[in-house]
Amino acid sequence: MTLNRRDFIGTAVAASAALSAPMVRAQGAPRVVVVGGGAGGATAARYIAKDSAGAVNVTLIEPTRSYYTCFFSNLYLGGFKQMDELGHSYGGLAANGVNVVHDWATGVDRDAKTVALAGGAAVPYDKLILSPGIDFVDDAVAGWDLSAQNAMPHAYKAGSQTELLKAQLAAMPEGGVFAMVAPPNPYRCPPGPYERVSMIAHHLKNTNPTAKIIVADPKGKFSKMALFQEGWNNHYAGMIDWIGADFGGDVVEVDPAAMTVSIDGEVTKVDVCNVIPAMKAGMIAHAAGVTDGNWAPVNAADMSSKADPDIYVLGDASQQGDMPKSGFSANSQAKVCANAVRGALTGSRVFPARFSNTCWSLIDTNDGVKVGATYKATEEKIAKVDGFISATGESADLRKATYEESEGWYAGIVADMFGAKA
Amino acid sequence: MIRPLAFCLALVPFGALADDGYSEEDIREIASDYGLSAEPLMLGGDVDYGAYLAGECTTCHQTSGAYDGIPVITGWDALFFKIAMHEYRAKSRENPVMQTVAARLGDEEIAALAAYFAGLEDD
Repeated sequence: MTLNRRDFIGTAVAASAALSAPMVRAQGAPRVVVVGGGAGGATAARYIAKDSAGAVNVTLIEPTRSYYTCFFSNLYLGGFKQMDELGHSYGGLAANGVNVVHDWATGVDRDAKTVALAGGAAVPYDKLILSPGIDFVDDAVAGWDLSAQNAMPHAYKAGSQTELLKAQLAAMPEGGVFAMVAPPNPYRCPPGPYERVSMIAHHLKNTNPTAKIIVADPKGKFSKMALFQEGWNNHYAGMIDWIGADFGGDVVEVDPAAMTVSIDGEVTKVDVCNVIPAMKAGMIAHAAGVTDGNWAPVNAADMSSKADPDIYVLGDASQQGDMPKSGFSANSQAKVCANAVRGALTGSRVFPARFSNTCWSLIDTNDGVKVGATYKATEEKIAKVDGFISATGESADLRKATYEESEGWYAGIVADMFGAKA
Repeated sequence: MIRPLAFCLALVPFGALADDGYSEEDIREIASDYGLSAEPLMLGGDVDYGAYLAGECTTCHQTSGAYDGIPVITGWDALFFKIAMHEYRAKSRENPVMQTVAARLGDEEIAALAAYFAGLEDD
Protein backbone atom coordinates (compact mmCIF):
# COMPACT_ATOMS: atom_id res chain seq x y z
CA MET A 1 0.00 0.00 0.00
CA THR A 2 1.48 3.35 -1.04
CA LEU A 3 0.50 6.42 0.90
CA ASN A 4 1.81 9.94 0.70
CA ARG A 5 1.17 12.26 3.61
CA ARG A 6 0.33 15.01 1.13
CA ASP A 7 -2.64 12.94 0.00
CA PHE A 8 -4.34 13.76 3.24
CA ILE A 9 -5.55 17.03 4.61
CA GLY A 10 -5.46 17.49 8.35
CA THR A 11 -8.60 18.35 10.20
CA ALA A 12 -9.03 21.99 11.14
CA VAL A 13 -9.02 22.34 14.89
CA ALA A 14 -9.81 24.92 17.50
CA ALA A 15 -6.15 25.90 17.77
CA SER A 16 -6.08 27.67 14.42
CA ALA A 17 -9.24 29.57 15.30
CA ALA A 18 -7.63 30.73 18.54
CA LEU A 19 -4.57 31.97 16.64
CA SER A 20 -6.64 34.16 14.37
CA ALA A 21 -8.94 35.52 17.07
CA PRO A 22 -8.96 39.33 17.22
CA MET A 23 -6.81 40.84 19.95
CA VAL A 24 -9.30 42.56 22.22
CA ARG A 25 -7.94 44.01 25.43
CA ALA A 26 -10.38 43.55 28.22
CA GLN A 27 -10.41 46.33 30.78
CA GLY A 28 -8.91 45.01 33.97
CA ALA A 29 -7.20 42.11 32.22
CA PRO A 30 -4.32 40.71 34.31
CA ARG A 31 -0.97 42.26 33.53
CA VAL A 32 2.22 40.46 32.68
CA VAL A 33 5.41 42.50 32.33
CA VAL A 34 8.40 40.87 30.64
CA VAL A 35 11.83 42.45 30.98
CA GLY A 36 14.29 41.52 28.25
CA GLY A 37 13.43 40.66 24.65
CA GLY A 38 15.81 37.80 23.92
CA ALA A 39 15.20 34.08 23.54
CA GLY A 40 13.48 33.84 26.94
CA GLY A 41 11.56 37.11 27.16
CA ALA A 42 10.42 37.47 23.56
CA THR A 43 9.18 33.87 23.54
CA ALA A 44 7.32 34.24 26.84
CA ALA A 45 5.69 37.51 25.74
CA ARG A 46 4.69 36.08 22.38
CA TYR A 47 3.23 32.85 23.78
CA ILE A 48 1.24 34.51 26.57
CA ALA A 49 -0.22 37.09 24.16
CA LYS A 50 -0.92 34.50 21.46
CA ASP A 51 -2.44 31.83 23.69
CA SER A 52 -4.47 34.17 25.89
CA ALA A 53 -5.87 35.99 22.82
CA GLY A 54 -6.33 39.25 24.68
CA ALA A 55 -7.25 37.86 28.09
CA VAL A 56 -3.82 38.87 29.45
CA ASN A 57 -2.24 42.29 28.98
CA VAL A 58 1.42 41.67 28.02
CA THR A 59 4.10 44.38 28.09
CA LEU A 60 7.65 43.68 26.92
CA ILE A 61 10.37 46.07 28.09
CA GLU A 62 13.46 45.92 25.90
CA PRO A 63 15.87 48.83 25.28
CA THR A 64 17.01 47.90 21.77
CA ARG A 65 14.90 48.42 18.64
CA SER A 66 16.69 45.63 16.82
CA TYR A 67 17.77 42.49 18.62
CA TYR A 68 20.96 40.86 17.37
CA THR A 69 21.10 37.21 18.31
CA CYS A 70 24.18 36.08 20.17
CA PHE A 71 23.59 32.64 18.68
CA PHE A 72 25.03 32.50 15.15
CA SER A 73 27.12 35.67 15.80
CA ASN A 74 30.23 33.47 15.61
CA LEU A 75 29.17 32.59 12.06
CA TYR A 76 29.29 36.30 11.27
CA LEU A 77 32.90 36.35 12.53
CA GLY A 78 33.65 33.39 10.27
CA GLY A 79 32.08 35.10 7.25
CA PHE A 80 29.13 32.69 7.02
CA LYS A 81 26.48 35.26 8.00
CA GLN A 82 25.90 38.97 7.51
CA MET A 83 25.12 41.09 10.58
CA ASP A 84 21.73 42.10 9.18
CA GLU A 85 20.74 38.41 9.04
CA LEU A 86 21.16 38.31 12.83
CA GLY A 87 19.02 41.40 13.52
CA HIS A 88 15.31 41.14 14.33
CA SER A 89 12.73 43.83 15.07
CA TYR A 90 9.90 43.63 17.57
CA GLY A 91 7.25 44.62 15.02
CA GLY A 92 5.92 41.07 14.79
CA LEU A 93 5.34 40.95 18.55
CA ALA A 94 3.63 44.35 18.54
CA ALA A 95 1.37 43.24 15.69
CA ASN A 96 0.41 40.19 17.72
CA GLY A 97 -0.79 42.02 20.79
CA VAL A 98 2.39 42.58 22.83
CA ASN A 99 2.83 46.13 24.12
CA VAL A 100 6.52 46.68 23.25
CA VAL A 101 8.21 49.41 25.30
CA HIS A 102 11.76 50.39 24.32
CA ASP A 103 13.25 51.50 27.60
CA TRP A 104 15.56 50.22 30.34
CA ALA A 105 14.01 48.59 33.39
CA THR A 106 15.98 50.03 36.28
CA GLY A 107 14.24 48.67 39.36
CA VAL A 108 11.41 46.55 40.73
CA ASP A 109 9.17 47.52 43.65
CA ARG A 110 7.98 44.11 44.80
CA ASP A 111 5.51 45.52 47.34
CA ALA A 112 3.83 47.92 44.92
CA LYS A 113 4.37 45.39 42.09
CA THR A 114 5.76 47.91 39.63
CA VAL A 115 8.79 48.04 37.34
CA ALA A 116 10.63 51.37 37.16
CA LEU A 117 11.84 52.51 33.74
CA ALA A 118 14.80 54.77 33.00
CA GLY A 119 12.33 57.06 31.20
CA GLY A 120 10.55 57.66 34.52
CA ALA A 121 7.42 55.49 34.21
CA ALA A 122 6.40 52.80 36.68
CA VAL A 123 4.74 49.81 34.97
CA PRO A 124 2.37 47.75 37.14
CA TYR A 125 2.34 43.96 36.98
CA ASP A 126 0.49 40.98 38.36
CA LYS A 127 3.22 38.64 37.15
CA LEU A 128 6.75 39.76 36.25
CA ILE A 129 9.04 37.74 34.00
CA LEU A 130 12.72 38.69 34.05
CA SER A 131 14.86 37.50 31.17
CA PRO A 132 17.76 39.96 31.20
CA GLY A 133 20.55 37.67 30.01
CA ILE A 134 24.03 38.25 31.39
CA ASP A 135 26.27 40.97 32.68
CA PHE A 136 29.97 40.62 33.48
CA VAL A 137 31.43 40.10 36.94
CA ASP A 138 33.54 43.10 37.97
CA ASP A 139 37.30 42.50 38.15
CA ALA A 140 36.91 38.99 36.72
CA VAL A 141 39.95 39.42 34.45
CA ALA A 142 42.82 41.42 35.93
CA GLY A 143 43.41 44.60 33.93
CA TRP A 144 40.04 44.53 32.12
CA ASP A 145 36.84 46.40 32.80
CA LEU A 146 34.02 47.70 30.58
CA SER A 147 36.05 50.84 29.76
CA ALA A 148 38.47 48.50 27.94
CA GLN A 149 35.80 46.86 25.78
CA ASN A 150 36.85 48.81 22.69
CA ALA A 151 40.52 47.85 22.97
CA MET A 152 39.67 44.29 24.00
CA PRO A 153 36.07 43.47 23.03
CA HIS A 154 34.03 40.80 24.77
CA ALA A 155 31.66 40.38 21.81
CA TYR A 156 29.49 38.26 24.10
CA LYS A 157 26.43 40.48 23.67
CA ALA A 158 25.91 40.51 19.93
CA GLY A 159 25.84 43.61 17.76
CA SER A 160 28.35 46.47 17.87
CA GLN A 161 30.83 44.43 19.92
CA THR A 162 30.75 41.60 17.39
CA GLU A 163 31.25 44.04 14.50
CA LEU A 164 34.16 45.62 16.37
CA LEU A 165 35.86 42.26 16.87
CA LYS A 166 35.41 41.38 13.20
CA ALA A 167 36.90 44.73 12.11
CA GLN A 168 39.88 44.16 14.39
CA LEU A 169 40.43 40.69 12.94
CA ALA A 170 40.29 42.09 9.40
CA ALA A 171 42.93 44.69 10.32
CA MET A 172 45.30 42.16 11.93
CA PRO A 173 48.82 42.32 10.47
CA GLU A 174 50.12 39.36 8.51
CA GLY A 175 51.26 36.68 10.93
CA GLY A 176 49.63 38.51 13.84
CA VAL A 177 48.36 37.08 17.12
CA PHE A 178 44.74 36.75 18.25
CA ALA A 179 44.21 35.96 21.93
CA MET A 180 41.03 34.90 23.68
CA VAL A 181 40.51 34.91 27.43
CA ALA A 182 37.81 32.26 27.91
CA PRO A 183 35.30 32.46 30.79
CA PRO A 184 34.91 30.21 33.86
CA ASN A 185 31.74 28.13 34.36
CA PRO A 186 28.87 28.78 34.36
CA TYR A 187 28.48 31.08 31.38
CA ARG A 188 26.28 31.78 28.36
CA CYS A 189 26.64 29.25 25.51
CA PRO A 190 29.18 26.67 26.74
CA PRO A 191 30.52 25.79 23.25
CA GLY A 192 30.45 29.48 22.18
CA PRO A 193 34.09 30.44 22.85
CA TYR A 194 35.33 27.34 21.02
CA GLU A 195 33.05 27.78 18.04
CA ARG A 196 34.35 31.35 17.97
CA VAL A 197 37.95 30.11 17.93
CA SER A 198 36.97 27.82 15.04
CA MET A 199 35.30 30.61 13.08
CA ILE A 200 38.22 33.01 13.63
CA ALA A 201 40.62 30.27 12.55
CA HIS A 202 38.50 29.77 9.43
CA HIS A 203 38.68 33.50 8.67
CA LEU A 204 42.44 33.68 9.31
CA LYS A 205 43.21 30.53 7.34
CA ASN A 206 41.71 32.24 4.28
CA THR A 207 43.05 35.76 4.81
CA ASN A 208 46.08 35.54 7.10
CA PRO A 209 47.29 31.93 7.22
CA THR A 210 50.46 32.57 9.24
CA ALA A 211 48.46 34.21 12.07
CA LYS A 212 48.31 32.49 15.47
CA ILE A 213 45.50 31.95 17.98
CA ILE A 214 46.13 31.71 21.73
CA VAL A 215 43.32 30.72 24.11
CA ALA A 216 43.82 31.23 27.85
CA ASP A 217 41.20 29.16 29.62
CA PRO A 218 40.48 29.02 33.36
CA LYS A 219 38.90 25.58 32.79
CA GLY A 220 40.59 22.24 32.32
CA LYS A 221 38.00 21.00 29.86
CA PHE A 222 35.13 22.45 27.85
CA SER A 223 31.95 21.66 25.96
CA LYS A 224 32.39 19.37 22.89
CA MET A 225 36.14 19.44 23.63
CA ALA A 226 37.03 16.27 21.70
CA LEU A 227 35.00 17.44 18.69
CA PHE A 228 36.60 20.88 18.62
CA GLN A 229 40.12 19.57 19.14
CA GLU A 230 39.65 17.00 16.37
CA GLY A 231 38.33 19.74 14.09
CA TRP A 232 41.16 22.12 14.94
CA ASN A 233 43.70 19.41 14.07
CA ASN A 234 41.90 18.57 10.84
CA HIS A 235 41.28 22.10 9.59
CA TYR A 236 43.67 24.45 11.37
CA ALA A 237 46.74 22.38 12.29
CA GLY A 238 49.41 24.37 14.14
CA MET A 239 47.34 27.57 14.32
CA ILE A 240 45.59 27.23 17.71
CA ASP A 241 47.31 27.05 21.11
CA TRP A 242 44.76 26.25 23.83
CA ILE A 243 46.18 26.77 27.33
CA GLY A 244 43.95 25.22 29.97
CA ALA A 245 43.99 25.58 33.73
CA ASP A 246 46.59 22.83 34.09
CA PHE A 247 49.08 24.99 32.17
CA GLY A 248 48.35 28.38 33.73
CA GLY A 249 45.38 29.38 31.60
CA ASP A 250 43.65 30.40 34.83
CA VAL A 251 46.36 32.94 35.77
CA VAL A 252 45.71 35.76 33.33
CA GLU A 253 46.24 39.51 33.30
CA VAL A 254 45.64 41.85 30.36
CA ASP A 255 46.91 45.34 29.58
CA PRO A 256 44.52 46.92 27.06
CA ALA A 257 46.74 50.02 26.60
CA ALA A 258 49.86 48.00 25.79
CA MET A 259 47.88 45.19 24.06
CA THR A 260 49.59 42.49 26.08
CA VAL A 261 48.28 39.32 27.71
CA SER A 262 50.08 37.68 30.61
CA ILE A 263 49.41 33.94 30.97
CA ASP A 264 50.95 32.36 34.08
CA GLY A 265 53.48 35.21 34.17
CA GLU A 266 54.49 34.98 30.50
CA VAL A 267 53.70 38.25 28.70
CA THR A 268 52.73 38.14 25.02
CA LYS A 269 52.14 41.08 22.68
CA VAL A 270 48.90 40.50 20.80
CA ASP A 271 47.13 42.23 17.90
CA VAL A 272 43.55 41.39 18.80
CA CYS A 273 42.30 40.27 22.21
CA ASN A 274 38.81 38.94 22.97
CA VAL A 275 38.18 39.01 26.72
CA ILE A 276 35.13 37.01 27.79
CA PRO A 277 34.85 37.67 31.53
CA ALA A 278 33.02 35.67 34.18
CA MET A 279 29.27 36.27 34.04
CA LYS A 280 26.32 36.95 36.30
CA ALA A 281 22.59 37.54 35.86
CA GLY A 282 21.63 40.79 34.14
CA MET A 283 21.32 43.87 36.34
CA ILE A 284 17.54 43.90 36.81
CA ALA A 285 17.58 40.47 38.48
CA HIS A 286 19.94 41.83 41.12
CA ALA A 287 17.95 45.07 41.42
CA ALA A 288 14.78 43.03 41.99
CA GLY A 289 16.48 41.20 44.84
CA VAL A 290 15.86 37.74 43.40
CA THR A 291 19.51 36.70 43.04
CA ASP A 292 21.61 34.59 45.37
CA GLY A 293 25.21 35.34 44.44
CA ASN A 294 25.59 35.74 40.69
CA TRP A 295 22.34 34.08 39.56
CA ALA A 296 18.61 33.94 40.31
CA PRO A 297 17.45 30.60 41.78
CA VAL A 298 14.14 29.35 40.36
CA ASN A 299 11.63 26.56 40.89
CA ALA A 300 11.93 24.06 38.07
CA ALA A 301 8.19 23.46 37.70
CA ASP A 302 7.39 26.96 36.39
CA MET A 303 10.62 29.06 36.49
CA SER A 304 9.24 31.13 39.40
CA SER A 305 11.79 32.82 41.59
CA LYS A 306 12.58 31.16 44.90
CA ALA A 307 12.46 34.66 46.40
CA ASP A 308 9.08 35.86 45.04
CA PRO A 309 6.16 33.77 43.67
CA ASP A 310 5.04 36.57 41.33
CA ILE A 311 8.45 36.91 39.65
CA TYR A 312 9.83 34.42 37.12
CA VAL A 313 13.39 34.32 35.80
CA LEU A 314 14.25 32.78 32.44
CA GLY A 315 17.35 31.84 30.53
CA ASP A 316 20.93 32.76 31.27
CA ALA A 317 20.05 34.77 34.39
CA SER A 318 18.34 31.84 36.12
CA GLN A 319 19.94 29.23 38.30
CA GLN A 320 17.84 26.20 37.48
CA GLY A 321 19.99 23.09 37.54
CA ASP A 322 21.26 21.02 34.65
CA MET A 323 20.36 23.04 31.54
CA PRO A 324 23.17 24.93 29.82
CA LYS A 325 22.76 28.68 29.46
CA SER A 326 21.68 28.87 25.83
CA GLY A 327 19.11 30.58 23.64
CA PHE A 328 17.46 27.19 23.06
CA SER A 329 17.21 26.59 26.81
CA ALA A 330 15.74 30.07 27.42
CA ASN A 331 13.16 29.50 24.66
CA SER A 332 12.25 26.12 26.16
CA GLN A 333 11.94 27.53 29.69
CA ALA A 334 9.84 30.43 28.37
CA LYS A 335 7.16 28.10 27.04
CA VAL A 336 6.88 26.25 30.35
CA CYS A 337 6.71 29.59 32.17
CA ALA A 338 4.16 31.05 29.73
CA ASN A 339 1.87 28.05 30.22
CA ALA A 340 2.11 28.37 34.02
CA VAL A 341 1.68 32.16 34.12
CA ARG A 342 -1.31 32.12 31.79
CA GLY A 343 -2.84 29.32 33.84
CA ALA A 344 -2.35 31.25 37.08
CA LEU A 345 -3.96 34.40 35.64
CA THR A 346 -6.78 32.98 33.52
CA GLY A 347 -7.37 29.44 34.78
CA SER A 348 -6.25 27.90 31.49
CA ARG A 349 -4.89 24.35 31.58
CA VAL A 350 -1.40 23.95 33.01
CA PHE A 351 0.65 20.98 31.88
CA PRO A 352 3.74 19.45 33.52
CA ALA A 353 7.06 21.16 32.79
CA ARG A 354 9.33 19.61 30.17
CA PHE A 355 12.43 21.16 28.73
CA SER A 356 14.93 20.47 25.98
CA ASN A 357 18.08 21.95 24.50
CA THR A 358 20.31 21.45 21.50
CA CYS A 359 23.50 23.43 20.80
CA TRP A 360 24.92 23.29 17.28
CA SER A 361 28.44 24.53 16.55
CA LEU A 362 30.22 25.11 13.26
CA ILE A 363 33.91 24.12 13.13
CA ASP A 364 34.61 24.82 9.45
CA THR A 365 32.57 24.99 6.23
CA ASN A 366 29.89 22.27 6.39
CA ASP A 367 31.49 20.76 9.51
CA GLY A 368 28.70 21.06 12.05
CA VAL A 369 28.41 19.26 15.41
CA LYS A 370 25.71 19.20 18.06
CA VAL A 371 24.99 18.30 21.65
CA GLY A 372 21.58 18.15 23.27
CA ALA A 373 19.38 16.76 25.99
CA THR A 374 15.89 16.58 27.43
CA TYR A 375 15.11 17.72 30.97
CA LYS A 376 12.35 17.50 33.54
CA ALA A 377 11.38 19.42 36.65
CA THR A 378 12.16 17.89 40.02
CA GLU A 379 11.60 19.42 43.46
CA GLU A 380 15.25 20.33 43.56
CA LYS A 381 16.09 21.50 40.03
CA ILE A 382 15.74 21.07 36.28
CA ALA A 383 17.24 17.62 35.89
CA LYS A 384 18.65 16.00 32.78
CA VAL A 385 16.71 13.02 31.43
CA ASP A 386 18.63 11.88 28.36
CA GLY A 387 21.12 13.33 25.88
CA PHE A 388 23.25 12.91 22.80
CA ILE A 389 26.41 14.36 21.27
CA SER A 390 28.00 14.17 17.83
CA ALA A 391 30.81 11.61 17.60
CA THR A 392 34.38 12.21 16.52
CA GLY A 393 35.18 10.77 13.10
CA GLU A 394 31.72 11.32 11.63
CA SER A 395 31.34 11.40 7.85
CA ALA A 396 31.47 14.69 5.93
CA ASP A 397 27.89 14.08 4.79
CA LEU A 398 26.61 13.80 8.35
CA ARG A 399 28.52 16.92 9.43
CA LYS A 400 27.05 18.83 6.50
CA ALA A 401 23.55 17.63 7.38
CA THR A 402 24.14 18.75 10.98
CA TYR A 403 25.14 22.21 9.79
CA GLU A 404 22.07 22.45 7.57
CA GLU A 405 19.95 21.41 10.53
CA SER A 406 21.43 24.31 12.52
CA GLU A 407 20.39 26.72 9.77
CA GLY A 408 16.86 25.39 10.04
CA TRP A 409 16.95 25.72 13.82
CA TYR A 410 18.00 29.36 13.57
CA ALA A 411 15.07 30.18 11.30
CA GLY A 412 12.80 28.21 13.63
CA ILE A 413 13.83 29.79 16.91
CA VAL A 414 13.69 33.37 15.65
CA ALA A 415 10.22 32.69 14.23
CA ASP A 416 9.26 31.22 17.61
CA MET A 417 10.62 34.29 19.42
CA PHE A 418 9.46 37.12 17.18
CA GLY A 419 6.70 35.56 15.07
CA ALA A 420 6.93 34.42 11.47
CA LYS A 421 8.27 36.98 9.04
CA ALA A 422 5.52 38.66 7.02
CA MET B 1 -6.56 -10.70 13.41
CA ILE B 2 -10.06 -9.60 14.47
CA ARG B 3 -10.52 -7.75 17.76
CA PRO B 4 -13.85 -7.03 19.42
CA LEU B 5 -15.15 -3.60 18.51
CA ALA B 6 -15.51 -2.57 22.16
CA PHE B 7 -11.78 -3.02 22.70
CA CYS B 8 -10.96 -0.72 19.84
CA LEU B 9 -13.39 1.96 20.99
CA ALA B 10 -11.74 2.00 24.39
CA LEU B 11 -8.51 2.98 22.68
CA VAL B 12 -10.11 5.79 20.71
CA PRO B 13 -11.49 8.29 23.22
CA PHE B 14 -11.50 11.18 20.74
CA GLY B 15 -12.84 9.37 17.71
CA ALA B 16 -9.52 9.24 15.87
CA LEU B 17 -10.68 6.66 13.39
CA ALA B 18 -13.39 8.90 12.04
CA ASP B 19 -11.25 12.06 12.05
CA ASP B 20 -8.25 10.49 10.41
CA GLY B 21 -10.35 8.78 7.79
CA TYR B 22 -8.81 5.35 8.30
CA SER B 23 -10.58 2.14 9.09
CA GLU B 24 -9.15 -0.10 11.75
CA GLU B 25 -8.15 -2.48 8.98
CA ASP B 26 -6.25 0.30 7.18
CA ILE B 27 -4.35 1.20 10.34
CA ARG B 28 -3.46 -2.43 11.05
CA GLU B 29 -2.14 -2.86 7.52
CA ILE B 30 -0.13 0.38 7.63
CA ALA B 31 1.25 -0.41 11.09
CA SER B 32 2.36 -3.78 9.82
CA ASP B 33 4.10 -2.13 6.85
CA TYR B 34 6.09 0.00 9.28
CA GLY B 35 6.74 -2.76 11.81
CA LEU B 36 4.79 -0.91 14.52
CA SER B 37 1.97 -2.05 16.75
CA ALA B 38 -1.37 -0.70 15.63
CA GLU B 39 -3.02 0.21 18.95
CA PRO B 40 -0.96 3.37 19.71
CA LEU B 41 -1.64 4.57 16.18
CA MET B 42 -5.39 4.39 16.83
CA LEU B 43 -5.23 6.82 19.75
CA GLY B 44 -6.92 10.15 19.24
CA GLY B 45 -5.14 13.23 20.52
CA ASP B 46 -5.91 16.05 22.96
CA VAL B 47 -5.28 19.16 20.82
CA ASP B 48 -4.75 21.53 23.80
CA TYR B 49 -2.15 19.19 25.27
CA GLY B 50 -0.60 18.88 21.83
CA ALA B 51 -0.39 22.67 21.52
CA TYR B 52 1.57 22.79 24.77
CA LEU B 53 3.82 19.85 23.93
CA ALA B 54 4.46 21.43 20.51
CA GLY B 55 6.54 24.06 22.27
CA GLU B 56 9.29 21.46 22.29
CA CYS B 57 9.02 21.17 18.48
CA THR B 58 8.59 24.79 17.48
CA THR B 59 12.06 25.88 18.55
CA CYS B 60 13.13 24.24 15.27
CA HIS B 61 10.01 23.36 13.23
CA GLN B 62 8.16 26.47 12.08
CA THR B 63 4.41 26.62 12.70
CA SER B 64 4.06 28.72 9.53
CA GLY B 65 5.12 25.66 7.55
CA ALA B 66 8.25 27.44 6.25
CA TYR B 67 11.28 25.28 5.41
CA ASP B 68 14.84 26.47 6.09
CA GLY B 69 16.63 23.16 6.73
CA ILE B 70 14.33 21.55 9.32
CA PRO B 71 11.48 19.44 7.95
CA VAL B 72 7.98 20.90 7.78
CA ILE B 73 5.62 19.15 10.24
CA THR B 74 2.47 21.25 9.89
CA GLY B 75 -0.53 19.80 8.11
CA TRP B 76 0.73 16.21 8.30
CA ASP B 77 -1.80 13.48 8.28
CA ALA B 78 -2.09 12.54 11.98
CA LEU B 79 -1.53 8.82 11.37
CA PHE B 80 1.75 9.41 9.58
CA PHE B 81 2.87 11.92 12.19
CA LYS B 82 2.30 9.22 14.83
CA ILE B 83 4.17 6.68 12.74
CA ALA B 84 7.19 8.99 12.39
CA MET B 85 7.33 9.68 16.11
CA HIS B 86 6.95 6.00 17.03
CA GLU B 87 9.79 5.21 14.63
CA TYR B 88 12.01 7.83 16.27
CA ARG B 89 11.09 6.47 19.69
CA ALA B 90 11.98 2.96 18.53
CA LYS B 91 15.20 4.40 17.04
CA SER B 92 14.36 2.85 13.69
CA ARG B 93 14.34 6.35 12.19
CA GLU B 94 17.60 8.33 12.23
CA ASN B 95 18.37 11.63 13.92
CA PRO B 96 19.66 11.90 17.49
CA VAL B 97 17.70 15.09 18.28
CA MET B 98 14.42 13.47 17.29
CA GLN B 99 15.26 10.15 18.94
CA THR B 100 16.02 11.97 22.21
CA VAL B 101 12.84 14.05 22.05
CA ALA B 102 10.70 11.02 21.16
CA ALA B 103 12.28 8.81 23.83
CA ARG B 104 10.22 10.37 26.60
CA LEU B 105 6.97 10.84 24.69
CA GLY B 106 4.24 8.41 25.65
CA ASP B 107 1.59 7.16 23.22
CA GLU B 108 -0.80 9.83 24.50
CA GLU B 109 1.76 12.62 23.93
CA ILE B 110 2.49 11.44 20.41
CA ALA B 111 -1.23 11.33 19.61
CA ALA B 112 -1.70 14.82 21.05
CA LEU B 113 1.14 16.25 18.94
CA ALA B 114 -0.19 14.51 15.84
CA ALA B 115 -3.65 15.98 16.37
CA TYR B 116 -2.26 19.48 16.95
CA PHE B 117 0.10 19.60 13.96
CA ALA B 118 -2.45 18.00 11.64
CA GLY B 119 -4.63 21.03 12.31
CA LEU B 120 -1.95 23.59 11.38
CA GLU B 121 -2.08 24.55 7.73
CA ASP B 122 1.06 25.17 5.70
CA ASP B 123 1.52 28.64 4.21
